[in-house]
Amino acid sequence: MDQPFQNPANDGTQSAPPAREAPSSRESRALAFGIAGWLLPGLGHALQMMWGRALVVFLAVGLLVFAGASMKGNVFTRQGGDAFDTLGFIADLGTGSFYVFARSIETNGADVSHAGGDYGTRLLATAGVLNLLAALHAYEAARGHKA
Amino acid sequence: MNGVPRLDLTHFQAFLLFAVVISVAFGFLGRRRPKDRVKYILWSLFLFLLVGIGVGWAMFPFSR
Repeated sequence: MDQPFQNPANDGTQSAPPAREAPSSRESRALAFGIAGWLLPGLGHALQMMWGRALVVFLAVGLLVFAGASMKGNVFTRQGGDAFDTLGFIADLGTGSFYVFARSIETNGADVSHAGGDYGTRLLATAGVLNLLAALHAYEAARGHKA
Repeated sequence: MNGVPRLDLTHFQAFLLFAVVISVAFGFLGRRRPKDRVKYILWSLFLFLLVGIGVGWAMFPFSR
């Protein structure tokens, strides 16, 4: 447990990318991992064999989206009335494909007349921002930065 | 998906759900060794609860 890991950029289950790899190729690969992680929570880490992180991100974002939508939180759309709606839409869109999942759960629309609906709105936004953070983490890890 | 029942959580339950999920996610993303992850998760969860409940009590005098 105390011995140093060979590759600080991952869970220790994957060898470091070869030093000969061109910087532009590595950057493109990292960008692809980041986008993959945004589209499907955890995929950016799974592609780098970081199974624990991939599973946790997938479950965390999925649980928050499911709870938020089940509590009738507001899943914002592009047709927002003001800046806050637009910010909410950007945050919700951070969940990637789970945004569609949230919309499919909330077929009857949001209900923020109760406090529960308001909490649900916050949980949905949290899920989006958390997934964006995880995607950024996957991107940085693929670039070889300590993660 | 139409039959998903409405989930009714109290403020504290929703807050607890948020704190647990975020603590675990941050622990796994921020630390690599299992021992460090557990320490981070527990400490983060404790701080979430402490600050959340503390702010709740701090706002209590202005709630009426």
